[in-house]
Amino acid sequence: MAADIISTVEFNHTGELLATGDKGGRVVIFQREQESKNQVHRRGEYNVYSTFQSHEPEFDYLKSLEIEEKINKIRWLPQQNAAYFLLSTNDKTVKLWKVSERDKRPEGYNLKDEEGRLRDPATITTLRVPVLRPMDLMVEATPRRVFANAHTYHINSISVNSDYETYMSADDLRINLWNFEITNQSFNIVDIKPANMEELTEVITAAEFHPHHCNTFVYSSSKGTIRLCDMRASALCDRHTKFFEEPEDPSNRSFFSEIISSISDVKFSHSGRYIMTRDYLTVKVWDLNMENRPIETYQVHDYLRSKLCSLYENDCIFDKFECVWNGSDSVIMTGSYNNFFRMFDRNTKRDVTLEASRENSKPRAILKPRKVCVGGKRRKDEISVDSLDFSKKILHTAWHPSENIIAVAATNNLYIFQDKVN
Amino acid sequence: MEFKLEAHRIVSISLGKIYNSRVQRGGIKLHKNLLVSLVLRSARQVYLSDPCPGLYLAGPTGIPTVPPPQQPGEPVAGPPSGWGEPPPPSARAALPEPEPQPQRPSVCHTPGAGSSEPVAAVAGAGDALRGGEADSAAAAWGRVERPRAVASGGGSDTCPEGPRAVRRPCGCPPAREEQPAEDGSPAPPAPCPRKRGAAGVGGGRAGCPAAPGSTPLKKPRRNSEEQPSTGEEDTDEEMETGNVANLISIFGSSFSGLLRKSPAVGREGEEAEESGPEAAEPGQICCDKPVLRDMSPWSTAIVAF
Repeated sequence: MAADIISTVEFNHTGELLATGDKGGRVVIFQREQESKNQVHRRGEYNVYSTFQSHEPEFDYLKSLEIEEKINKIRWLPQQNAAYFLLSTNDKTVKLWKVSERDKRPEGYNLKDEEGRLRDPATITTLRVPVLRPMDLMVEATPRRVFANAHTYHINSISVNSDYETYMSADDLRINLWNFEITNQSFNIVDIKPANMEELTEVITAAEFHPHHCNTFVYSSSKGTIRLCDMRASALCDRHTKFFEEPEDPSNRSFFSEIISSISDVKFSHSGRYIMTRDYLTVKVWDLNMENRPIETYQVHDYLRSKLCSLYENDCIFDKFECVWNGSDSVIMTGSYNNFFRMFDRNTKRDVTLEASRENSKPRAILKPRKVCVGGKRRKDEISVDSLDFSKKILHTAWHPSENIIAVAATNNLYIFQDKVN
Repeated sequence: MEFKLEAHRIVSISLGKIYNSRVQRGGIKLHKNLLVSLVLRSARQVYLSDPCPGLYLAGPTGIPTVPPPQQPGEPVAGPPSGWGEPPPPSARAALPEPEPQPQRPSVCHTPGAGSSEPVAAVAGAGDALRGGEADSAAAAWGRVERPRAVASGGGSDTCPEGPRAVRRPCGCPPAREEQPAEDGSPAPPAPCPRKRGAAGVGGGRAGCPAAPGSTPLKKPRRNSEEQPSTGEEDTDEEMETGNVANLISIFGSSFSGLLRKSPAVGREGEEAEESGPEAAEPGQICCDKPVLRDMSPWSTAIVAF
């Protein structure tokens, strides 16, 4: 079912919850089991906690446009009380959802019976106080805010500010700043729309707030550049504070150079000192203090460089891969094709390719590293480039904030892998 | 020659993508179409610059020159990468757009959930809205066809005077610069009306002096989709993807520039500038039979759409 294709994956700040959004507009939240004292070695598993329909397809009659219900991004708010809050967005509308538990219900009403039917008052001879009795746990999700009508173009990112009072939403040409309490207005903080659309040269592809500095954010562009902006400098952050760009390697120039340099994801490290960007073939780590080139570049699947024309034909070259940091910022992870995903250890410079598939992973089995054969003799376990299945792509992954638990979305399946406990 | 074939193939594929994007669910994706248009332009440059025997009549130096990647709005060839800087803020502000505040209630209503008709309706309605462009696109196809018929019937040794010197008299770059003046706005107002929302942290409308008569200005033809809404301040901003849909017609007209001996008349703006440089390229003004032979795959690709 196309509607089941997972379109976003995100752990909450403690890692207790994992949310996924799909093409059909649904959100599914998984919760980690409490580790029981009896089974110390059995790590908590993730089970379905709540499922709800976040967005519905809409039709804009005036513009004759259908608005897809696909969830583009989910971002959690830090937990401040018993309830959980998350933001989910489709192309046009951001919603704030409250997810809360109900495990008691009132019983013993005077005027209605257990089924809720009204009693004949004449039959009531005594009064009693209703009491709260335990019930089966029910998790309910309610939409608390709807932030609509602020984006002409398609929303690609949302990011919660470290002040926990504001967040931003970014579309192709503009970024808006919202206050969680106010839904009928937003501040436009970036606008790169040219007066004449024919002069359009680049679009915004992703945006994120700095994890600690509530005045700082970055946004990436289709031209492979990143701009860091300071909201204290001016209300409209059209002039960047820092501009990160690596000069193009002229030997790699092709028809598709611009496409493969378009950045599909940008993420601050947990420390706030680095940013990581993903373009079609590489992941790059940038030091905020060095604008002229990244400090690290990792090849995700360079063997695709000679296949760009076919990938353009079948639209794969437009796939937007995401990238994630682990909790300590020492390892980065991103997806590839054939249900492969890659991890790069920044310290040891070692990398590994793993596969998310039913055949290759039974519960408790250890993932075997995979290898793509680029030419010459193919070894037994290797897979050749031409055998790669480009319909099986891993675009969305997530890493638990503090433990080695990863969530990998492979089309309409979610895989959760944990580090083996010794 | 393989470069030309490769470039030709890429152009066909790209045009197909742009065309298909018009009927895709969710509306035209600006990012993807921008990238496709970049590929389209690269491929076209390669196609036009790849030296092939018999294709060009060489200029005085005997070597066909690579056409500079002209951009709409740039009077002279820019840096090799071709993409100009964003227009200065004053130019941007000169053409303010009707951008309503988001707190205005949306004019659009959500339909009943799960309506299955929208896809077909979108295609039909979308085409109706874009009927203007379709007409001009059809006209562009017509221009391609007619000169070909004429030229193949007539002689082939038509070579006008001073090929390199010929620039189309429409003088598009100056026209573009004059555009704000033509549209009637006075000196560009301070850049501002992009703020939405009330006053607060540095934002708001308070600090924005609106230029007198800064009512939405109609840009010639380019925003044909927006014109229905420019009269009303309340309407939401249209997602401007007219440049995407127009690429097909631009392509058509640039071929007509290749074939036509006299400077192209017709639509001003980007289209004119696109075919202008081509018309000025040495040797390509001449309707040699080899040129025509090479052109037929192109028109087949275009007619297919």
